[in-house]
Amino acid sequence: MTDITAQSAPGARFLTRERIIKWTPLLVLVFLVLLFPFFEWLEDFGAGKEHMYLADSRFFSIRNAARIFIAATPALMVAIGVTFIIIMGSIDLSMEGTVSVCAVIFAFAFIGWGGTLASWAWLAIPVALLVGAALGFINGLVHVRLKIPSFMASLAMGFVGTGLALLLTGGDRIRVEDELFRSLLTVRWFNFPIMVYVAAVMLLIAWFIQSRTTLGRNFYAVGGGEELAHASGLNVNRVRIMGFTLAGVFFAVGALLAVGRIGIAETATGNNFMFVSITSVVVGGTALWGGIGGVWNTLVGVLIVNVINNGMVVIGLPNFLQDGVLGILVILAVVLSTDRKSVSFVK
Amino acid sequence: MSFIKKFIEQEKISRRNLLLASAYGISGAAAMRMFGPSPVQAATYADPTIAWSYRNRTNPYWNEIVSGGEAFVESLGKPKDSLTHLINEGSSEKSLADVKALLAKTNGELALAIDTNDAPNCRPVVEACAGAGAYVSTLWNKTDDLHPWDFGDNYVSHMTWSDEKPAEQTARILLEAIGGKGGVVHLGGIASNNPAIERLQGLKNALKDYPDVELLDAQPADWDTQKANQIMSSFITRYGDEITGVHCANDTIGYGVLEALRAEGMSVPIVTYDGNPQAVELVAKGDILATVFTNPHWGGGVTAALAYHAATGAFKPSEEPNEHREFYGPTIMITPEDAVEFKAAYLDNVPTYDWKDFWGPSNGQILYK
Repeated sequence: MTDITAQSAPGARFLTRERIIKWTPLLVLVFLVLLFPFFEWLEDFGAGKEHMYLADSRFFSIRNAARIFIAATPALMVAIGVTFIIIMGSIDLSMEGTVSVCAVIFAFAFIGWGGTLASWAWLAIPVALLVGAALGFINGLVHVRLKIPSFMASLAMGFVGTGLALLLTGGDRIRVEDELFRSLLTVRWFNFPIMVYVAAVMLLIAWFIQSRTTLGRNFYAVGGGEELAHASGLNVNRVRIMGFTLAGVFFAVGALLAVGRIGIAETATGNNFMFVSITSVVVGGTALWGGIGGVWNTLVGVLIVNVINNGMVVIGLPNFLQDGVLGILVILAVVLSTDRKSVSFVK
Repeated sequence: MSFIKKFIEQEKISRRNLLLASAYGISGAAAMRMFGPSPVQAATYADPTIAWSYRNRTNPYWNEIVSGGEAFVESLGKPKDSLTHLINEGSSEKSLADVKALLAKTNGELALAIDTNDAPNCRPVVEACAGAGAYVSTLWNKTDDLHPWDFGDNYVSHMTWSDEKPAEQTARILLEAIGGKGGVVHLGGIASNNPAIERLQGLKNALKDYPDVELLDAQPADWDTQKANQIMSSFITRYGDEITGVHCANDTIGYGVLEALRAEGMSVPIVTYDGNPQAVELVAKGDILATVFTNPHWGGGVTAALAYHAATGAFKPSEEPNEHREFYGPTIMITPEDAVEFKAAYLDNVPTYDWKDFWGPSNGQILYK
């Protein structure tokens, strides 16, 4: 078989176009991390205060990094879940409902079985993950078997989830007060709370799935060219269903961390995750048409969005400007970080 | 070319219909005017459909409102689910469309309690109800130029809350607690919401008497716990120990603030609003200094009760004074001293209200600025 892949000659330029585009999201992140301290410096400079750039920055500090990470971890889990789906060229919009259902079922089970991690209540964690997987599985089935576009199937499943969560709670909120479970937030190792390390482990697992398993490679195969993958004997439908199931599990982890962060499970736990996660995935450089990107892009994307959100408040940007600035920065980040020369049309 | 012919044909017909309809409309309006400002005796119904139209039940506040509506229908000896729920999900268009559909279905035999989602939507809703002979009581959203007494009996009542004074009171409790000096931050509701504006204004009013306290920052947290949590941690980055007190626009925001403080091992006095059960518990523990209870359960129940009893003819709205048609809902301040007592009286067992005592707990006629 002849190798027909175009390869750049060895010893070609170090800064190839592809390489620049690949690393742009990270550069955007670094730029933002340096930009906000600059505004702080500017403010103090204007007020005639002593301020050394970066060294005196409140934004550029370990404690603020911890705050950004705390805010980012649940969204990161959800975004990783949807990354797999987007790599396949599909989309999953069920995260808000799935997160709410998992959070609420986790809280009910946790409290019902003892209310502390030191008892059988720890079983509530695998139960929540199973619920997430089940919802994702149903989502995948609806999409594949009923041949409904993933956009519509998952959106509808999301509504079902929100409704189910509402049915379970009757609109009430459930407090998870267990000190041991809340140590996710309250106990810190090297300045960062435990939930950040949990998220890091999950990120590594996601990376492993993406790059070291057949399933992970199949996601790229489906996203890169579904017909080709199908013609090569790949059971595309099976890959899709497994992808949605996997995404559901990550949504459930996101739900657990969200509950760990504020100690409350309610129907509103899932709110805003759709916007944040999809934005993060795209800003990170994973292409919505599939086949390009991965979980590291998503990590960078989630950090970009959270750095922007945190930084805008820290530099004291008036609130009526914040949404607009966020929108503009997102467009900029997408423009910089995706190789739009490689697509012939955008839909 | 037949489709062009068909099109012209159709246009002709629709123009004819338009002319007929407008002729009818003009004469109809004239007929209305002949009957003068007090229209014919509005019809009353023995067993009208009772409906509540609201955003959704996800929000604990609306959940309380609707539970009041359910308690009211149960007090009539009907099952809980005989209350019709119209859920607008934050859309004024859906709100109006649902009301019109229900009016058509019930033939106007309807007692409707509604929050019309935004103020401009109130007029079309009320006009649709009055036109169909239904009875409507509104909550929260209404434009200042729209009044129940301009619609005879069919627009029964409007209830709202003025949050400026109570928010000012909680602010004073906070400012006293921090010794009258330092810096406070405010986390508000959705910036364009009236209660969000009033609650921030309340804080600003109180601050006038405390010149040594600086309002460091005010940001909208959209009534959302998680958003409040993130904004509070950003505030901590920007202001750090300069923050000596936090003024929250409602309880759900307060929960997010408390968790952000907890993550940093900080403890700063905070005040909230709404008097949700969980917040009252936190007040009793001393984690929150004060919250304000607006009794949404009663508000939801009595709004439905007013519409129902007017629809059955048990009382005649047009014979009531104006302060019985437009009035403020109740507000109760909850502080650590009375939180336990309050919880026992209002939350542990929801009191059984006399749904015919329409105006007992209310707070006087609405004043327009």
